[in-house]
This record gives sequence, C-alpha cells and structure tokens, in this order.
Amino acid sequence: MKTINEINQKIKDGDAVVVTASEMTEIVAESGPKEAAREVDVVTTGTFGAMCSSGAFLNFGHSDPPIKMARTYLNGVELYSGLAAVDAYIGAAQPNKDPELGLDYGGAHVIEDLIKGKEIELVAEAYGTDCYPLKHVETLITLDKLNQAIMVNPRNCYQNYAVAVNSTDETLYTYMGTLLPNYGNVTYSSAGELSPLINDPYFQTIGFGTRVFLCGTEGYIVGEGTQHSTDVERKHGVPTTSAGTLMLKGDMKKMKPEFLKAATMPKYGPTLYVGVGIPIPILNEDIAASTGISDEDITCKVVDYGVPRRERPVVKETNYKELKSGKIEINGMEVPTSPLSSLKKAIIIAEELKRLIEKGEFLLTSPIYRLPSKGYTLRPLEIRKPSILVRELESKPVIVTHPDENIKDVARKLVENNINHIPVVDEKGVLQGIVTSWDIADAVAKGKTSLRDVMTRKVIIAREDEPVEVVARRIDKYDISGLPIVDSNNKVKGIITAEDISRLVGKKMDRGGESI
Amino acid sequence: MKAWLRFLPSIIGKAIISEAIKKYDIEFNILRAHITPRGGKMLAEISGPEERESIKFMEEQGIEVNPIIKVVKKDKDKCIDCGACISLCPVKAITMEKDWTVEIDDQICIGCGFCTKSCPTKSIILFE
Ligand code: SF4
Ligand code: SF4
Repeated sequence: MKTINEINQKIKDGDAVVVTASEMTEIVAESGPKEAAREVDVVTTGTFGAMCSSGAFLNFGHSDPPIKMARTYLNGVELYSGLAAVDAYIGAAQPNKDPELGLDYGGAHVIEDLIKGKEIELVAEAYGTDCYPLKHVETLITLDKLNQAIMVNPRNCYQNYAVAVNSTDETLYTYMGTLLPNYGNVTYSSAGELSPLINDPYFQTIGFGTRVFLCGTEGYIVGEGTQHSTDVERKHGVPTTSAGTLMLKGDMKKMKPEFLKAATMPKYGPTLYVGVGIPIPILNEDIAASTGISDEDITCKVVDYGVPRRERPVVKETNYKELKSGKIEINGMEVPTSPLSSLKKAIIIAEELKRLIEKGEFLLTSPIYRLPSKGYTLRPLEIRKPSILVRELESKPVIVTHPDENIKDVARKLVENNINHIPVVDEKGVLQGIVTSWDIADAVAKGKTSLRDVMTRKVIIAREDEPVEVVARRIDKYDISGLPIVDSNNKVKGIITAEDISRLVGKKMDRGGESI
Repeated sequence: MKAWLRFLPSIIGKAIISEAIKKYDIEFNILRAHITPRGGKMLAEISGPEERESIKFMEEQGIEVNPIIKVVKKDKDKCIDCGACISLCPVKAITMEKDWTVEIDDQICIGCGFCTKSCPTKSIILFE
C-alpha cells in the first residue's frame, strides 16, 4: 500500500500523520485497521525498562609510552579488556570491585556518569610488551575525551516478559525487584501496548538497520538480540512470554541523561534503565492492525520466582490492562502490582519520537533484512554432570523427637548420636519444628522442660526434589548449619548439614563471600 | 497528627494513653512501637477535635511528644516513576497517578522503610 520512501517524503513535506501506539489503539478500535492504515503513516512506540544486557565499547586513546590494557577499571568497575590495546567493553551489570560499593555503583552507574559529563577515574594494568611497555596507568577521563563511546546492547527491548510472584515464606530479591512472601506482590516489566516489539510481533518493519530512538539520540538495530526466540505460544499474534530481542547500537556522546538511568535491584545488582522508541511505518492494513493492539489483548504469564529452576511454575495468565490497574487476583486474593519499567517515561519517549518525526528531524529507514520471525527456539544449557538432587544424597537414618519429649532425653539423643540438630515431628512423622544442641543447652540453663517452648517452629527445609546447589545457597543465605529433608507431605526423610554439602561440593563453603 | 512518643521506664506501667483517649475522645493509632525495659518509643497517629489538649496531657504525664511532619520524601529528580515501590508499601501510601507519576502520601506513610530499601534508584529518603 505505502512504502517507506513515500512516508519519508511525507515527513520531509511535513504532511506525515504520526501517532503514538496508545493513540493508534484508539484509532483502530474506532475506525478499524483499514481506515487506520489509510489515515496514519507512522506509529511511535516507547519503553523505559531495566535492561541488564547493556553496555558500551570505549576507546581511550594511546598513552605515551603506550600500554596494552589487560585489566581496566572505571571508578572501580572492571571492564572487559580482551579486545586490543586501548579498547574495552563496559557491561551495565558489572558490580564494583570495592565490596563497600559493590552492587551500589556498577557498570550502569559509570555509563550514566559518563553521559552526565562527570570525570571518571581510569586505572589500567598491563603485562608489558616490546611495543606496549607501560604496565600501569592512572588518570581521569571524561566522555568527550574518549575517541569512541559506542553503546552496544546485546539484548534489549524484550518482546513481552514473565510477570513475577513469590510463593515462598521469605522475601526474595530478584532482577524482577523485591518479591514479597506468599504472593504478597506482583512485578512486571513490559510497557504493554506501548512496547516496541509487541506492536510489530512478526517484525514486518523492524530489522537490521532500523533507525530507533535510543537514550535521547538516534540509534540503530544491528540485528536480533541474544536469546531471540520466535517459536513461542502467541495470542492475538503476540507472544505470551519473552520472545524477540534486539541488539542496539548508539553514540553515547549524543545521549541525554534523562533517557537513561543507572539503578540497582536490591541484593541483585546493577542494571541500566534504557529508553528506546521504535517508529513503525504503517505500510498496510496488517501492520495497522498489529499496532492497534490493546493492553487487554496482550496476554502474559504470572510466574513463581520462588522456584529457582529454569522452568518456573506458571501461576496464571493475565494481561496488561489488569496489571496496569494496580492489582490482580491470585488464589482469590487481590495482590498489588508494580510495573518496574517506567510507563511514564515510555509515554514521554513515544511522544518525543512522534515530535521528532513530525518536525522532520527523524526519518525512517528500510531495514537491510528483517529480524527472523520464525525458526528460533531457546536451547537450554545442559550440564554434562547433572545436579545431584537432595533425594540422591546418602542420608544417615534420621533421629527425630516429638514435641512432648523430655528435654533431658533429647539431650541424651544428641550426645549419643553425636549430632547437633534434631527435627521435631508429630506421630505421622510430619515436621513440626527443629532444635539444636545450643537450644537444648539454653533450655537446661533456663530450667525449661518442655520441648514445645524451645523448638524453632519456622524451619528452613530442603525438599527431596531440589538440586543440592539450591540447598547450599539456602544454608549460606540463612547462615544455618543443617536442615531437615522433607518429602511432598512434609514428612521428615533425613537431615542435611553444611558439612555434608561442603564435602559434596568439594570445597569449603565461603560464608558471607560472593554469592553472585 | 503523627508523632513519636517517648516513654521513660518509670512511666511504662501507667495507663496514660488510655486515660488520654477517655478524657479527650481522641483516635489513637499505633503505627510503630519499640518498647524495651529501658523505656520505649512509639509512632502514633493522634486525631480528634481535642488533639492538642490530649498531647498537652500526655506531656504533663511524662511522655515526650515529638511531632513529625514528614516520614518519607521522594527525590523527584532521581525518581524514574518505575513503580517498583508501589506494591511493597504495606499501607498503600504509594500510588500511581493518572499520568503514571508515582506519588507518596506522607500522611498515610508509617515509615516502615521498605520502599527506601527497595527503590532501584535510591530516590526515597526516610526521616526517623
Ligand atoms: S521505586 Fe524509586 S524510582 Fe521507582 S517509582 Fe518508586 S521512588 Fe521512583
Ligand atoms: S516507608 Fe513504608 S509506609 Fe512509608 S511509603 Fe514507604 S513502604 Fe509505605
């Protein structure tokens, strides 16, 4: 029907009709896709979400005498320097090497500070060669002193994404934000009907060479992003889960601080909020129909992040209209929702891109090739030596006690069996609590006689079907020395201690050490 | 009004608050409390027509009353209106406006500090 050249001509003449994806949804609902395709030339989309997979190639220029940088740090954040002498890649999700700053100031924060024009400390170390004799350099840099600062984001703008909840009893800190226990809140991260790849779900107009709005300047799509996948379940043509991704490129020197923001997901790590807007040329009725998609018609899956496995259980399906209303229903309860990505900024970006096109300052490009829209599925990483499940551990016959047992007898059991933990069970063997030798000593010292007053009721457990690594992380996280193994009916099957695990993992566990 | 009430150990046993409630017909809502054998403090919301009189009475009885104007403050320049804080607030003090701006109502806030810890851009400051 229309071509990109024709639309560009209209933009140059100041005649192009440009609307945001939200406005297009209304237009299509009112007049239908056929009429909308005739009326509208370009639809602008926008998103402003945490995109961990972001970063930039920096070229520092040569020092005198020259150095071949092998380890490079900007404000204490390590870059990847295995490129050439004075090039490095800074990844947004890289934590600071200083444990005090750690997750609070990482790669994303360096990128933001550079764009804000701040002075950054550069430290580089080298092994020294005949042509690059210098072994150490320490100086201050600013963005405008660099030769190049090219943002290249390997995986941005996910086409839809999972919605997160947490079924466990503990608060979880994830890349999807803080998740309250027992389905206490819901977080989601797609901008829904404004989101770029949702408006062109089969990439009819988007591909290599598409000019986009990236962090306040023009950027380009340089191909599909990592983890791009296409052969997923769809509803109304739109994937119901994470699918397509983009690799983006842009000149950091031209970016504006208001369209990107460094952040730290609590107890998870640094990440970069990236503002992206993609113009979609309305070439035909089909494309008009896809850009007319409404929040209500974009289905997504609520996933339980309480299960730390690759396949997380799906709790239910919902859509972005429900999510944006501020609450959804789970198991008969009303649960508050948090967007994580900024819907306000997404609208500002779509509006800004619309303004630029209307003013003739942003022309559309024809992609050299379109993003693949089929044939891409995600392959998992198979571990050659599969995880050992808790069930497969050789567990000594478990010694248990009952809530009414005399404390003295419990003490005897601990001493005779040379153990430190003893699970408390009811007559059916179902876990009721746990006591440690310390609890017993404390009880004796205070003259307590009933086990009920002494035992810990909120027990941290290991389930039979969990991989041992998951249990190891739990032992670390709660700084405990042992936990009972239970089956699906909460019956105690054994006990696993920190020593068992370290023997298994083959090295002593590094308490309080790095866990990321 | 919202205020921190400080109790000395000597008056912990006395029923000053219930007396104040009876005398002045105030609404007394405890938002946070830390009571130890060495005394304690409590964040409370006190309201009613005789609010001032009731506070005067409590002060006479030995409770130190420190009114608070604000519990949290959002740095508007740093906040990106992502909304990560909204679903974490136990008293629904944080809301999303029509234009998707995130607002915190410090009249509702009880100062639990949960949002400050969870904000990805550290845009919320908690006043103690
Ligand atoms: S979590 Fe922080 S940045 Fe996000 S809306 Fe709340 S205050 Fe603003
Ligand atoms: S401090 Fe607590 S009560 Fe106040 S706004 Fe934050 S989460 Fe809500």
